[in-house]
Amino acid sequence: MMEIRFWGRGGQGAVLAAELLAQAAFLDGKVPQSFPFFGVERRGAPVTAYARVSDRPIEVRTSIATPDVVVVLEHGLLATMPTTDGLREGGTVLVNARADDPGLVAPPSARLATVDADRIALELGLGTAATPIVNTAVLGALVRVTGVVSPIALDRAIERVVPARPSENLAACHAGYAGVLVRTTEVPVPTPRPSPRAPPLPEGPLATIPSDVLRTASWRTRRPEIRLERCTRCNFCWKFCPDTAIALDALGFPQLIAEHCKGCGICAAVCPPKTIAMVAEGSEGP
Amino acid sequence: MTLEVLSGNRAQSEAVRLARVQVVAAYPITPQTTIVEAIADHVAQGRLAAEFVRVESEHSALQVCVSAAALGARTYTATSSQGLLLMHELLHWASGARAPVVMGVVNRAVAPPWSAGADHTDSLAQRDTGWIQFYAETNQEVLDTVLEAYRLSEDRAVRLPAMVCEDAFYLSHTVEPVEVPTAEAVDAFLPARVGRGILVPGVPSRLGSFTGPEDYVRFRREEAAAMARVVPTLRVVEEEFCRSFGRTLGGPVVPYRLEGATTALVTIGTASTTARGVVDELRRQGRAIGLLKIRLLRPFPEAEVRAALEGVDRIGVLDRAWTFGPTGAVAAEVRGALYGAPRRPLVTSFLAGIGGRDVTPGLVRRAVERLDVGSADDGPVWMDLEPLPEEVVRG
Amino acid sequence: MAKLTLPPEEWVRSGHSACPGCAPALALRFLLKGLGPRTIVSIPACCWTVIATPYPTTALGVAMLDTPIESTGASISGLRAAADALGLSDLNVVGVAGDGGTADIGLQSLSGMLERRTNAIYLMYDNEAYMNTGVQRSGATPWHAWTTTTPVGPRARGKAEPKKDIMGIVLAHRPVYAATVNPSFPEDFLAKVEKARDLVGPRFFQAITPCPPGWRYDSSETVEVGSLATETGLFPLYEVEEGRLRITRRYGRLKPVREYLQKQGRFGHLTDPEIDAIQSRVTARWEELLRSERTSAEGRAQPPATDQAPTAAR
Repeated sequence: MMEIRFWGRGGQGAVLAAELLAQAAFLDGKVPQSFPFFGVERRGAPVTAYARVSDRPIEVRTSIATPDVVVVLEHGLLATMPTTDGLREGGTVLVNARADDPGLVAPPSARLATVDADRIALELGLGTAATPIVNTAVLGALVRVTGVVSPIALDRAIERVVPARPSENLAACHAGYAGVLVRTTEVPVPTPRPSPRAPPLPEGPLATIPSDVLRTASWRTRRPEIRLERCTRCNFCWKFCPDTAIALDALGFPQLIAEHCKGCGICAAVCPPKTIAMVAEGSEGP
Repeated sequence: MTLEVLSGNRAQSEAVRLARVQVVAAYPITPQTTIVEAIADHVAQGRLAAEFVRVESEHSALQVCVSAAALGARTYTATSSQGLLLMHELLHWASGARAPVVMGVVNRAVAPPWSAGADHTDSLAQRDTGWIQFYAETNQEVLDTVLEAYRLSEDRAVRLPAMVCEDAFYLSHTVEPVEVPTAEAVDAFLPARVGRGILVPGVPSRLGSFTGPEDYVRFRREEAAAMARVVPTLRVVEEEFCRSFGRTLGGPVVPYRLEGATTALVTIGTASTTARGVVDELRRQGRAIGLLKIRLLRPFPEAEVRAALEGVDRIGVLDRAWTFGPTGAVAAEVRGALYGAPRRPLVTSFLAGIGGRDVTPGLVRRAVERLDVGSADDGPVWMDLEPLPEEVVRG
Repeated sequence: MAKLTLPPEEWVRSGHSACPGCAPALALRFLLKGLGPRTIVSIPACCWTVIATPYPTTALGVAMLDTPIESTGASISGLRAAADALGLSDLNVVGVAGDGGTADIGLQSLSGMLERRTNAIYLMYDNEAYMNTGVQRSGATPWHAWTTTTPVGPRARGKAEPKKDIMGIVLAHRPVYAATVNPSFPEDFLAKVEKARDLVGPRFFQAITPCPPGWRYDSSETVEVGSLATETGLFPLYEVEEGRLRITRRYGRLKPVREYLQKQGRFGHLTDPEIDAIQSRVTARWEELLRSERTSAEGRAQPPATDQAPTAAR
């Protein structure tokens, strides 16, 4: 049995990727199982999904704690979420990233594979620049590096299941298959996270910790660049920020609270002199 | 203290007045109505300084109480039958939010077909909602148990809501003498609930959060631990009750003539009175029989039941409801409690008094006779299907 | 630098779990700016259940109580009763619920709260579908809008029925104050909240709150889409105080509804005749609103009720 854990963001298609893999495994005559982790599903919020593929009936119904393969649909999650926790010795980490991405980390014994699925999806017009739909490209890469299902079964599954634009998705799958690179050089090892001790409970389910300890920056795929030299200090960006992620300094100039900005782009849209531009996360800006 | 002739419903409303309840919310349903009418009158006449919220449904009645209790108010509602069923969702909210609401339940059959008769289906169907459940036998017990329930529910060790159940008509509309304590005595036993809400205005906090599985299970475990503290806390409260009012409440279970008994009857609610009379009669005839009345059905006082029934060979449990299990609901609990006993007695489930049928002395005697021929794999015995010679035909 | 037109204090904290570009997050941010810290908010199952973040964190700088989806009206009646019983007279008691929790499953307890004259503020944030569960149709979903339960196909054109008139239902209860608000117009929003804050009795807001994933537009366009809802006359901004209706954003010429509809994927299937039909309804309703404003100014729109004191609050 091969156990695969998918990580993605709400809207990227991680859940559908796991289901597509299950459909393909079925067409191969294998026994599949896939399901999403049902937590707080929000566009941009991290989501996980699981898939098992086996030659025999699967006798377990749990989330996957010790995966053979971890698939990360958005490279930023690799460092910010416990993506590779429990990865089996010699397991595979497949990341949607350029091979030269400086943020790549993996457990010491892991095989690290990369595929630039963002580029593939955007070239084929799947999704938007902010949210490219990368699942089919990543699945193509997954089949190439793991052989978990046959390429032809994956093609048939995509034709049957993908809700829209089947030919572009097939093309993305093939481009992912062709474009995946397996890293042979050493990659940095992620620092282990201390497992948090559960604090004592209050009398009832009473929450008292301010939410600003939560860093929603990891939801972001683009970020605002504020060029203060043209700013008129109208404070529209502050006023309309749904995440309270823009503060005004003593002179009335806006400052981005980067750890909380989700990159919605409202500040850029409402800025009268257009001094705010949205740039892709990770890029140097315009 | 005065001795007054009161109905069970009136006993509920007097207890609410004496407890100085701060927020009452209720929706009318037969046969609960006279409880809330009397409370409305207490408020209108200035005898009770409470906010009475006239809601548009039982669901809203309990929501009003849960929200008011979260802010620290002492709250009360009362309902019956369909109204309790409509509250079901909020019952979980009350216990999960650790809101010490006290509710009077007048046990009435559920529809269809329509019936206003006494039947425990309504509250038995709520036994897994995290509420403490008391079943009263007399109007005195009704009044006393409501006062006790506030002490118990508001105790820091417990903080769980409580139902005080009384049989429709056999208590709700039956008048009998009741000792009504003075306001001063009750104030000493049950001080005002002030400033002890979970939510405090001005303090940013959220009650009822979304949780992950890891936290959810921990909160459930906390509730279970609080439930496990009910019986020990109840002992302390009842000792104090006895000191304050000179009466005993009887604990979670009330054994009667079980010394040396080889046969026992187990009852909840008003059937206990008639069963006690039959036990006396059979004891006079030389039969070694006793009675165990269960006052506290949730949490189920398993250890107390096991201790009280030790040495008994044959047990008959009277259930005033059919809950579609292998036996009556109370019988199932009793069987479960005795499964690990060193000598496992034979437990027979009798269904008696369903939909308001009388549980007569003759019926109880027949049940005892049936016990003698019972076997371990007996299904429930429906006692109500034959006409009873001493039963008055109604309607 | 421009003067701040909103109070600088924030009662909605960063780190909350709203989707990027979420207008319900803005709506609560503006509401609480107007009410301040002596406020308790009751919130049923809705997007805000999740936005407020999981245990043990909370996104509100005020006290918050969760309830099941249908009981917001009852909950705020209970909170007010407790506040009165406990002498907390300075407390703002507030219910915040979605359109489904208000106009569909919560309508009974909303009606009960209004009829009981509960001294509380109720804000319905209207994102026009069950968004927290993934975009299913509610009674507040507009005519022809796509949702996952009103799909578009050869035999279906989105929602077949018009949007439920929640303001009409609320106004029939004669609250002391009711208003429509729009996070795209924060100053108008705040002025109404501050006015309502100082009144006694039941007060109601309907806030239009665009939803990027549910309405299918880019998250950066929330303010623009919201503005167009009002500028096209689809969601006019007005208030009704003691029966007097006053339009608070007045337009000599409304923008065509097409500008609003074509921004959103949920209306992407509309044909020209369908857009024209929506346009004529919107135009007619706008004229009706202008008439209501004129007649209410003459004191004819809402005859005083004979059997109740309109400001009596409980």
